[in-house]
Amino acid sequence: MITSNSINNWFVQNFGTITTEQIIGWFVYNPEEKLLFNTGLFLGLFLVFYFVYAFLRKTFYLRLTYVILFSLFFYYKSSGIYFLLLLLSSVVDYGLSQVIYNEKSNNRKKIYLVISVILNLGLLGYFKYMNFMIVTFNDLFSGNYVLHNVFLPVGISFYTFQSMSYIIEIYREEIKPTKNYIEYLFFVSFFPQLVAGPIVRAKDFLPQIYQKLNLTRQDVNNGLFLIIGGLIKKTVISNYISVNFVDRVFDTPMTYTSFENLMASYGYAIQIYCDFSGYSDMAIGIALLLGFKLPANFRTPYKSTSITDFWRRWHISLSTWLKDFLYISIGGNREGTFAGYLFPSLFFFGLVLWGMANVNESYIPLGIAIGSIALFCLTFLLSGKRKQTAVTNFNLFTTMLLGGLWHGAGAQFIIWGALHGLALAVHKIFMEFFPSKKESKGPGFLWRFFSIVITFHFVVFCWIFFRARDFETALQVINNIGQLTFEPEQWQVIILGYKNVFLLMLFGYVWHFLPEGFTTTLKSVFDKTPLVLKAVVLGFVYWIVYATAVAGSQPFIYFQF
Amino acid sequence: MNTKSYFFQSFAIVALAFIAFVGFKQILPDKIFSDSKVDSKNVLIDSLLLESVAKDSLSEKSDSILRKEQKLTKGKITFDATEGIEFPAEVFDDYKGFQYLISFYDKLYQLENNPQSKVRIAYYGDSMTDGDLIVQDVRNNYQERFGGNGVGFVSITSESAASRGSIKAVYSKNWKTQSYLNVKNPISPFGVNGHVFFANDTKNTTWISFEAGPKKFSTSLDNPTLYYGRSSKKGNVNFIIGKDTLRKSLTPNNLVNTLKVTSGSVKAFKANFIHADSIPIYGFNFDSGTGVHVDNFSQRGNSGLPISIFNADVMKSFNNTLKYDLVILHYGTNVLNYGTKNYFWYQKGMTKVVNKIKESFPGVSILIVSTADKSTKYDLEMKTDSAVVPLMNAQKTYALETESGFVNLYTLMGGDGSMVKWVSDSPSKANKDYTHFNQRGAKEIGNLLYNQLNQGYEKYKALREKRDGPSKKKTVRKTNADSVSVIKDSVNE
Repeated sequence: MITSNSINNWFVQNFGTITTEQIIGWFVYNPEEKLLFNTGLFLGLFLVFYFVYAFLRKTFYLRLTYVILFSLFFYYKSSGIYFLLLLLSSVVDYGLSQVIYNEKSNNRKKIYLVISVILNLGLLGYFKYMNFMIVTFNDLFSGNYVLHNVFLPVGISFYTFQSMSYIIEIYREEIKPTKNYIEYLFFVSFFPQLVAGPIVRAKDFLPQIYQKLNLTRQDVNNGLFLIIGGLIKKTVISNYISVNFVDRVFDTPMTYTSFENLMASYGYAIQIYCDFSGYSDMAIGIALLLGFKLPANFRTPYKSTSITDFWRRWHISLSTWLKDFLYISIGGNREGTFAGYLFPSLFFFGLVLWGMANVNESYIPLGIAIGSIALFCLTFLLSGKRKQTAVTNFNLFTTMLLGGLWHGAGAQFIIWGALHGLALAVHKIFMEFFPSKKESKGPGFLWRFFSIVITFHFVVFCWIFFRARDFETALQVINNIGQLTFEPEQWQVIILGYKNVFLLMLFGYVWHFLPEGFTTTLKSVFDKTPLVLKAVVLGFVYWIVYATAVAGSQPFIYFQF
Repeated sequence: MNTKSYFFQSFAIVALAFIAFVGFKQILPDKIFSDSKVDSKNVLIDSLLLESVAKDSLSEKSDSILRKEQKLTKGKITFDATEGIEFPAEVFDDYKGFQYLISFYDKLYQLENNPQSKVRIAYYGDSMTDGDLIVQDVRNNYQERFGGNGVGFVSITSESAASRGSIKAVYSKNWKTQSYLNVKNPISPFGVNGHVFFANDTKNTTWISFEAGPKKFSTSLDNPTLYYGRSSKKGNVNFIIGKDTLRKSLTPNNLVNTLKVTSGSVKAFKANFIHADSIPIYGFNFDSGTGVHVDNFSQRGNSGLPISIFNADVMKSFNNTLKYDLVILHYGTNVLNYGTKNYFWYQKGMTKVVNKIKESFPGVSILIVSTADKSTKYDLEMKTDSAVVPLMNAQKTYALETESGFVNLYTLMGGDGSMVKWVSDSPSKANKDYTHFNQRGAKEIGNLLYNQLNQGYEKYKALREKRDGPSKKKTVRKTNADSVSVIKDSVNE
């Protein structure tokens, strides 16, 4: 017979005793333990939340308020008291958007828009870039300004952009404002995409609020499929290879062999993809379970055949945001503007300064600086429509520079953006000289393969700057890889030494490069499985996540060659 | 299809999945990734360590040893005066053993009064001091205060040569290297660095080139001197400095021989070895002749135990020219991973090591540096590895028993859970392996280490003045004022 005692014992055995302290811990902000989708705590909270949500599905404001409260709690668990900042900025933005909407004069509309952009970017700038600017200033002019002790609120880059999209779309009269603040706050604070995207556009999302809440079996299938994939990508592949291999190499690249450095670069490419797209997929999946459709954020980006193609497949919500609100605002492919010329000029000027500063030690930096300026100029000088291409390329370059900076405050992110900007310009001129034949069957298999390999390797190269702690470390990794020699026996030893890591990397890449048909088949099989079996599959994935999280890190290996 | 209420099916799936998870957790193994066993052929593993673990890990302490240790750890530790100087009594928990560093402190004192004299420290370590981490910061502190220029003794090849910033060494691939880590009977005895190298120059020339780094006190290579061992055959070496080539012959008659590349200081040079394949080569020494010099003898994977196979006669020959005043033994990281918390075998082994050092470098002071904090994942959380404290205590015990000084790196860096903090600090001070420090952290560790050593030195000076009675000189009175504050410090502890 089952007594309450035996239930209690079973519970204690499986979950340990639960103390009041622990329960308080579930609800109080702890900077060490962020509330991520792949944690047990989130699962528990979500189950309770979701149960009530299902009952509220026929209400409107009650449901919105309920989700807002959960979202604010979710944000509080990630950033503590800074959830007030989210509230404050949403009040200001909502107020300004109302003013813009009701204003008749175009000039005044513009003034209010500029105020709101400055406020939003100012907030982002203070929290994210203040110290970077101080350090840069101190370095350049040997200043002594003290760094601010700034806490970077989680997701500020994402919700600031989302909020800005709302205001700009109202200014451009693409959408009508929400009926009241509650609806607006629901859009800005919607927890699935709040801290790591996708950056949802007001015009895609707002209409869904007003629709009757509906959840089909297909939505649930899609959502669960995304969540399962996302969990595996993020917690199994990305987390394991970063902790056990990639982080170590990028911490001290010079203590590792060239082959390990090369593999860490490939490893980072799959790690960042799995981390980022996995989290996006989970966000989209969770939103689906709540009855909301968010746009896809990644479409197997490493299958891209060109760098232009890559930016249509990588972090799509960001690249379209940048295209619509930055690139077009500074002139797009129509006109040159002050801002469009300013940033590339500053960048190239800085590059030349860097080259000059190092000229005593080596001519290579100066060569790189002059070479990249020459290359950039050639991309429009060689073009048939010289003036228009120049404008386009300058604006594109600006977009990529600032897009790079959006990812983090540091010179290496600017370099990363510049490399991509340059590559986009180079690809453009290349396409002008060798246009792809439209009517024929498309490029041959070999050409396609070659393009994918080249694009992939360029992207991996750029990731080195993205991942490295600083510019110097990035150069160390690149130098080290440059000394790679063909020593298959040594490689074999390394691969066997990091067997789990390399297997996971392989799994990640194979999964990524699988033909789409395969994924579709898998999906349709999943759709057809009965409810209970789906639960078992999901439960099994929970277990994989748990078992990976419990796994200690692989002990250090020192190879001797 | 009923589209209205698919919410509850959806909820049911997520909830059932949770139940399925609990079921899976019970029937499936705890861990998904096995610890991969690595083919030991190509991996640096301390063979003496493996032997000791296999042989001695089961050995229990005898009752008499236990009783002796209990007495050590419980009671007060008092010292007998050395040259009239006696440090105050200590307790085991906070043992530092400055008393046993008096001969080193005495040499420092002489150096402080006569800048023409010199002091030398040998710093033996494992991967924690790879690439001159920590050691370069200790060296820098000493040279800043007491003078001295140069990075000291540098081996020929090293797994960490590329990551070393204090001196740049590039060498040909055809060096044959034997390390005390995994070779028991080397062709020729190991050098003071635990290695011996042979120029395998029959086909191609075997070479090494050095270039001074940008670090303070090592921007030039001062008095570069080659150290090599005994052999029946002679050989030659060409030193290339700028455009000049100096051809010199190697006469390997003694156990340890030296050959000056050039007097004075150079920025860089290259050495080409010719017909020298039978001569054991040890390395180059770079020192300005006065002040403090610190040699970094780091070896990845080392437990410290291999030092016990040193040939004392060879070491004595090294000591005749290098003249060590302090030997630092900084080990522990590599003995944490064997799932044991009984470190008696290690205590025994390291006692032998200390005795070997005493035999090799007569009269030298010895300092034991304990393991740093290291974290391991327990359930889902990174915590201090349960072996850290037992190991640190074993290290403290053999330090005390062998009359060596002791630096408790574990408590110095913050004690329980400190590694987690060092890793998560922003900017971080240690690597994600929760074992090794990065440049920033290593600098802090180097300073902590130096500060403790220096604290002992200041106390020593105060005690010395007390012994010598009130002095007459003005300069001494100045230090007298200092010593008052130092005494206060010690009261505060």
